Amino acid sequence: MCARWGRRGEETERKREDMGIVDEVAALREQTLARIAQAADTAALEQVRIGVLGKAGTLTGHLRSMGQVAKEERAQVGKTVNEVRVAVEEALAARKAALDAAELAAAIDAAAVDVTLPGRAQQMGTRHLINAITDEVSEIFLGLGYTVAHGPEVETDYYNFEALNAPADHPSRSLADTFYVVDRSGEASSVRGESDVLLRTQTSGVQVHAMEDRELPIYVIAPGKVYRRDVADPSHLPQFHQIEGLVVDEGITFGDLKGTLDYLCKQVFGEERKTRFRAHYFPFTEPSAEVDVSCGICHGEGCRMCKGTGWLEILGCGMVDPNVLSMSGIDPEKYSGFAFGMGVERIACLKYNVPDLRMLLEGDMRFLRQF
Amino acid sequence: MKVSLKWLSEYVDVPADTKAFCDRLDLTGTGVEAVEKTGAALDGVVVGFVETCEQHPDSDHMHVVGVDVGAGEPVQIVCGAPNIAAGIKVPVACVGAVLPGDFKIKKSKLRGVASSGMCCSGRELGLSGDHSGIMVLPEDAPVGMPIADYLKLSDTVLDLEITPNRPDCLSMVGMAREVGAMYRTDYESPLADMAAKLELDAAAAPVDEQVKITIDDAVRCPRYTARVIRGCKVGPSPDWMVERLAAIGQRSINNIVDVTNYILFLFGQPLHAFDLAKLKNADGLAHIVVRAAQDGERLTTLDGEDRELTSDMTVISTPELGAVALAGVMGGLDTEVTDETVDILLEAATFEAGRTSRTSRNLGLFSESSMRYERGVDDHGIAERSAAAAALMVEVAGGTVCAAAGNDEGVVDEWPASSTPCDLRFRIPRFCAMMGADIPRADIVDILARLGCAVSEDPAGDADVLAVTAPTFRPDLEREIDLYEEVLRLWGMDRIPSTLPGGPGRVGTRSHLEHVLDTVNDVMRASGLNETMTYSFAEPGDLDRLRMAPEGLGEPVELINPLNADQSVMRQSIVPGLLRSVAYNQSRGVKNVQLYEMGMVFFAHEGRKQPKERRRLAGVLAGAMRDAGWNDRPAAFDFFDGKGVIESLARELALPKLRFKALAADEAPHLQPGRAAEVLSGGTVLGWVGELHPLAVDAFEAAAPVVAFELDVEALAKAARPARDYVDVPAFPAVSMDVAFVVDEGVSHEKLVQCMSSAGGKLLEDARLFDVYRDEKRVGAGKKSMAYALTYRAADRTLTSDEVDKAHERLVKKVCGATGAEVRG
Repeated sequence: MCARWGRRGEETERKREDMGIVDEVAALREQTLARIAQAADTAALEQVRIGVLGKAGTLTGHLRSMGQVAKEERAQVGKTVNEVRVAVEEALAARKAALDAAELAAAIDAAAVDVTLPGRAQQMGTRHLINAITDEVSEIFLGLGYTVAHGPEVETDYYNFEALNAPADHPSRSLADTFYVVDRSGEASSVRGESDVLLRTQTSGVQVHAMEDRELPIYVIAPGKVYRRDVADPSHLPQFHQIEGLVVDEGITFGDLKGTLDYLCKQVFGEERKTRFRAHYFPFTEPSAEVDVSCGICHGEGCRMCKGTGWLEILGCGMVDPNVLSMSGIDPEKYSGFAFGMGVERIACLKYNVPDLRMLLEGDMRFLRQF
Repeated sequence: MKVSLKWLSEYVDVPADTKAFCDRLDLTGTGVEAVEKTGAALDGVVVGFVETCEQHPDSDHMHVVGVDVGAGEPVQIVCGAPNIAAGIKVPVACVGAVLPGDFKIKKSKLRGVASSGMCCSGRELGLSGDHSGIMVLPEDAPVGMPIADYLKLSDTVLDLEITPNRPDCLSMVGMAREVGAMYRTDYESPLADMAAKLELDAAAAPVDEQVKITIDDAVRCPRYTARVIRGCKVGPSPDWMVERLAAIGQRSINNIVDVTNYILFLFGQPLHAFDLAKLKNADGLAHIVVRAAQDGERLTTLDGEDRELTSDMTVISTPELGAVALAGVMGGLDTEVTDETVDILLEAATFEAGRTSRTSRNLGLFSESSMRYERGVDDHGIAERSAAAAALMVEVAGGTVCAAAGNDEGVVDEWPASSTPCDLRFRIPRFCAMMGADIPRADIVDILARLGCAVSEDPAGDADVLAVTAPTFRPDLEREIDLYEEVLRLWGMDRIPSTLPGGPGRVGTRSHLEHVLDTVNDVMRASGLNETMTYSFAEPGDLDRLRMAPEGLGEPVELINPLNADQSVMRQSIVPGLLRSVAYNQSRGVKNVQLYEMGMVFFAHEGRKQPKERRRLAGVLAGAMRDAGWNDRPAAFDFFDGKGVIESLARELALPKLRFKALAADEAPHLQPGRAAEVLSGGTVLGWVGELHPLAVDAFEAAAPVVAFELDVEALAKAARPARDYVDVPAFPAVSMDVAFVVDEGVSHEKLVQCMSSAGGKLLEDARLFDVYRDEKRVGAGKKSMAYALTYRAADRTLTSDEVDKAHERLVKKVCGATGAEVRG
């Protein structure tokens, strides 16, 4: 290449022209690199790129005019122009990356929000406390192999009382305690001239239906609404909810009853809670017991919640009375069973300290949406 | 029932630890409802020994004494009593004690001499009226002992809950027996000793010549006895009896009435004392007739109430006077014992339990007697208890007890229906198997014996079986299982190990209905509705007020004994209850209300015993989903919010062919016309949705608009499909085309969709309404522009633009032809 620089005459003239391109391109390179460095944003940078490398770009012009370069010089000039092009492209890319990063950073910066502003949430509805507790208990018994059973709320005296061994004169059957409804069948009632049709006072009737209708063994729970003739006040409602359970199988023991209800109490109230069984009397079970769970506030020391006893009464239970089994056509010599019942509102009071049961029926949004 | 532990401990050992005793009572089936300590008013009063006694330097009647009260140093007390002296023992009220009359003992100075307490007189302690001087105690009184303990003033009274199966526990002696069985210790009944004190007056006219008893119906009255005590002096009772009765909350009346009460509480035997003179017929004979009351017969009872009787009730009567007492419940005013009474006819009897209970309840008249008779009073032993009562009457009121001509007992005794003791078998292995524990034979035998059962070997020689005869005072022990209960409760339920049933045949399952209920609840909550519960009771006018047509809702179920008129029928719709809750919230400033309830409604039908019960789902929406937020302005609820909830429900339950059919004003008067629809799945009506009529909302004092729906859950469950079909996920691209149809107002969205659907054929995948536009100038009066985004797609290929254009053109043409629509450019 050095030898060429010694040419003269025409050759020299052309050489001067060729040298001109090389110099121009070199100057263009410097000038372009400077403009790239100065481009303030990606738009400006794009203008630079179009000005140099676009269809009508300056460097593009040089590349197009390569045909006019002397053959022997063409390789040299072409090489130079290409080197410049590569350098410019690299500079463009580097500058673009830098500008992109800066712009992204700026955009991110501008998009920052006060993360403590409220989010955009769908409003979910809520489950009623009583049904939430019923769900919880049902789930526990489903896990123990029980099936959920339902029955009518308007029952006959037979299913609500008689089949459950309740004496004909039991005070709970009186007009003062049980709601009776007009019997439209035209049949004479068998009990004291009152109607034989009533609002069930317990879900135990479902147990009788279960014993009559289901195959043995029976493992059912019957949650549902029941009615008693109590004026509504903070601790009474004329309609409330019970969950009753019934097991009839071969070899069922009082120990099984204890174990089952102990498990239930621990699941509902917590593993640390204890249970105790107090002998009691119910017409449809024998032996019968009431179940207390240790007070969760004082842990048995005695406090206002548990009225100083250390225990909270939550369940009634017992072994199914043989009469009740016989009436449903089950042989009490072969089968035994247990039954239990609890008030759901009572659990609501104990677990959630609901101060006034009437709140459960008012539909106050401010109450319902707490659960 | 109130039990004085001081009294009870006369007959059985009562543990000193009252808390432990109460726990044991609780666990064995006798609930302790309250524990009351009496005699506590004398806290701080102790036995003191007067060590020194000197004249007060500044007073001629006061002394300064040094008293040992068992607290180390003697205390100095200034005392003004004349009988104070060194070397005697006296009750001392120490500083801090509070004497009757709220008199607090403080440190003081009396004429310059410090005094730290007070030596007390009987009156100051409230023990007697004696105020002549200090109460001097016996020399062996232990110094420092609380005076209440020393004089046995303190007592603990338990209020016990006796379960209805245990009439035997309604007395001191019965409880003594129970406590004996609880602690496996002996008890002692005073009955034999008390009855043995009875002396008969052979000189008087024999009782069976003065009194005749006729029992009409042995079921109503299995046994009736009478004694005559002559020459009594009615007056105050002795202190000991007044105290015992007072301890269990009974006011002393007079010595005769108090004896009847005392025997009732001691042995559980109700008694009645008649004034014999008032009972006698003209011929001098007292002829007691126990019979059914006549309907409309009247009796003025001891409480002064004139009562109308019914034939279900049993009365004690005489042929001349008619009813003189309501059997087992209360005596009559006209024959009661008064201060002038001299001769007594003492009734001891037993009456039918159920009838006594009904009589009490029907008259609202409850007494200590009726409470015992309705649970059962043993017919055996009545003559002995009556003898004890008669002897006690003579002891406290004087007089003599007439002998009888026909027997040596001095009693007239009609006993037409004697109960027989119950013989039972107790299979020990079966008992242990059913309880889940090995309970020793010796414990079983001991417990049953202590309860009063006769226990012996099985006559058939089976070593595993006990022959048990239950006593007649335990009418509840009729079956083998009754004995199991007794042994279990006294042996200890706490000693039975806890187990879980191990039966192999059980599977927990949930029914289709329950799965549907779960889904419904999930959808309601996901739609922002809050579950509530309202009363199942309704006001008779609720449907009218709601303007709801009663067709298809049967007759209301009427309560015979409602609590109040507002709740005298069962609801036929859940909506009135929910509307009341809307009003409740609105009146408390809560404007956004979204409630739902799932529960029963009740339809009665003539000729049917039980009503139809249908499970319904109802919801109400008022206000908006929530208040406006910084980035969110929820729209006020309207018809489409209610409809949307049902659409979600239909999706989740996979209800086939969900349709909403506009309901005319006469079809659903409770809904606002034009914003009311029937909900159908296929041909089945599921219920309705709409905005409640403003007049209906107003009638419940709520503010309109209120969107509501009510669906039948069983219908939902029936229509619900358990699983949805799989549809291929599209493999080829879709082409979207928008079109706006200008149609008359009367052309429904449903109609347009039907046209598009039938015209678009297989290629039309979806037609989504994205705009409804009305403008009189641009669209025209009475017209609307309905803009749809149509999606065309073929399942097996990419559609060509030509295909799409042709299909679209055909669709538009058909819709326009069928509905009179014009395409808006």
